[in-house]
Amino acid sequence: MHTSLADLGEPLPNARRSRPTAGWPSLLIRAGSLFAFASAMLYFVIVAPSFLSFGNIANVLEQSAILGVLSFGMTIVMIGGGSNIITGGIDLSLANNLGLCAAVYASVLRNGQSDATALLLTLATGLAVGFLNAFAVVGLGILPLIATLSVMNICAGFELVLTQNTVIPASSPLLSSLTDSGPLGISYLAWVLLALAIVLVLGVEFTPVGLRLYAVGAHREAARAAGLYVKSYIAGSYLLSGICGAAGAVLSASLLNGSSTGSGAILLSIVLTPLLGTVFSRRLVPTITGTFLSVLFIGFLINGFQLTNVSSYWVNGVEGVLILLVVAATSLVRRGES
Amino acid sequence: MAAGTSSPEMDAVPVRVRLTALLRYTIVFAFVAVFVFLSLQAPSFFTTSNLLNLLVNNFALLALVSLGMTLVILTGGIDLSVGSAIDIGSLVFISLVSSHHPLLVAVFGGLLGALLVGGFNAFLISVLRITPFLATLGTLFIGESVQQLATNGGQPIYLITGNLPRGFTEIGRESFWGVPVPLCVVAVGIAGFLLLAQRTRFGREVGAIGAQSGVAWYSGIQVQRTTGLVYLLSALVCGVAGIILSSTVKAYVPLSGNAYLLDSIGATFIGTTLHAEGRPSVIGTVLGVLLLSIVTNGLLLIGWNFYWQQVGTGVLIFLVLAVSFLGRRARA
Repeated sequence: MHTSLADLGEPLPNARRSRPTAGWPSLLIRAGSLFAFASAMLYFVIVAPSFLSFGNIANVLEQSAILGVLSFGMTIVMIGGGSNIITGGIDLSLANNLGLCAAVYASVLRNGQSDATALLLTLATGLAVGFLNAFAVVGLGILPLIATLSVMNICAGFELVLTQNTVIPASSPLLSSLTDSGPLGISYLAWVLLALAIVLVLGVEFTPVGLRLYAVGAHREAARAAGLYVKSYIAGSYLLSGICGAAGAVLSASLLNGSSTGSGAILLSIVLTPLLGTVFSRRLVPTITGTFLSVLFIGFLINGFQLTNVSSYWVNGVEGVLILLVVAATSLVRRGES
Repeated sequence: MAAGTSSPEMDAVPVRVRLTALLRYTIVFAFVAVFVFLSLQAPSFFTTSNLLNLLVNNFALLALVSLGMTLVILTGGIDLSVGSAIDIGSLVFISLVSSHHPLLVAVFGGLLGALLVGGFNAFLISVLRITPFLATLGTLFIGESVQQLATNGGQPIYLITGNLPRGFTEIGRESFWGVPVPLCVVAVGIAGFLLLAQRTRFGREVGAIGAQSGVAWYSGIQVQRTTGLVYLLSALVCGVAGIILSSTVKAYVPLSGNAYLLDSIGATFIGTTLHAEGRPSVIGTVLGVLLLSIVTNGLLLIGWNFYWQQVGTGVLIFLVLAVSFLGRRARA
């Protein structure tokens, strides 16, 4: 097949002599990043005492819900596709899938349909996008990076057709109840994020199916030789990602009271969080837990900046520096282990 | 691997194999088909003024960015920070122009600004050995922050017309013998990259690194240095694109370069369908950019509104990729 593109995106020679293993260097990185995480939090607590208040934590959870749900979808695709970002799994259509689904949800409601119909059609849209990705990647054998890139363009196009590039306001019992505060005074948006995180952590990290998904991503040929039906796992990961897009769309519609334009802007953050999350795993691979922690970390960072009156323009830069630090440390460890 | 189908015993090759060999040229067929279709559907498409307009407005900038992207993908990497290089180049250029520096200084400064982005990438990738995807992703995020901080959160910088340095408007508009300046720049760029990729030692080294970076290293190629240079080169053409962009709109609009990122990756990968082993090439990329810009321009002419245009372009690219990857799979 595409042999020459097989090592696209691999680090340069010398840097890839060995696979990452669970040795003390990986422990050091994980301890180091947890330490950085903790010290950043500590700083915010000292400077802005309200930072660790219950209300503020609930607020951060609510603000992180959309990024979190989408990042879970991206993480699942990355787990099933393997660690090589270009030939491995990536779903670039996820952000625009959210935009399209939110547009579908809002316009179905606008036509006077019930919440249930709207929810069903939104889910169907997300699944359809996931199916198109799965078909392109598994059925046609197109590289995930460009397959999902072209699906992204198709989603963006359909979203424009539906919304005519305007905001479609939407309100429904479901949407307003999502922003209501539920048990413990935490809004249902945050509960959805927490619930999904728990379900996916259990499902992906602790079940045979999840383990097999990791096996497919780690070494596809070995997984096939071991008797796994590799294609269905990869296709399934894109379908799940499509569902995450639809779920994120409902959350975003409730937070913004309708569909909004410019959903594509969140894409690079969705790619970044699972990669940042790799430092929280023992083998330095994407995990749901790691993604959840890095989503929270970024959420707390933005929130802390707001509380300490640091301009939010710094957020992107800090995220960029973080990813570089993480990756530099990881690749140093891999070199050291050779 | 797929055997060459040009052997004398061509007759022995099953029809199916010959058919799949033809699929390699999907992009050429798609290009011709779209061109003929548009010429028939929209009488105004195949006119000198429209084709020139298409080349200047749709083709030129994307082609420049994609040329750099082609070399980067040829080494086996990717450059996600092209947007930052375009924007920083444009930011420095416009700032220098608006503070009444001579045009030459401004152009030089803009290119230097873009090279700074490329240099940062090169440092991360060649010295720190960070994977290109992550290194350039980091650069992109940092670049966005720098722009937001420099422009108070994304305020565009507009130039006051009438107070422009000599020769400024000519960058976007003036022409040599009837050919607009942006087109001349792109033509020089394409010729330069063609020569560089196919006729120089540097070009062969870039290809070798992409094919087998380990083998290239053992053969004595200075992999790190060559790779670093490729990222510098990519940033340089992005800087040129940024300067042309900002001199046509007479402004610096923050974060406007990101629009070229996905299109340039798309064009380069559409171009890879031309190659038997799916490697990027300058010719393929130029064809890919041409296809994208003709579709964008043509669908507008035959009366599709902007929104359906996006769907149409997306579906067409999907189909081109589908057909050529199916062909590649059938041959493998």
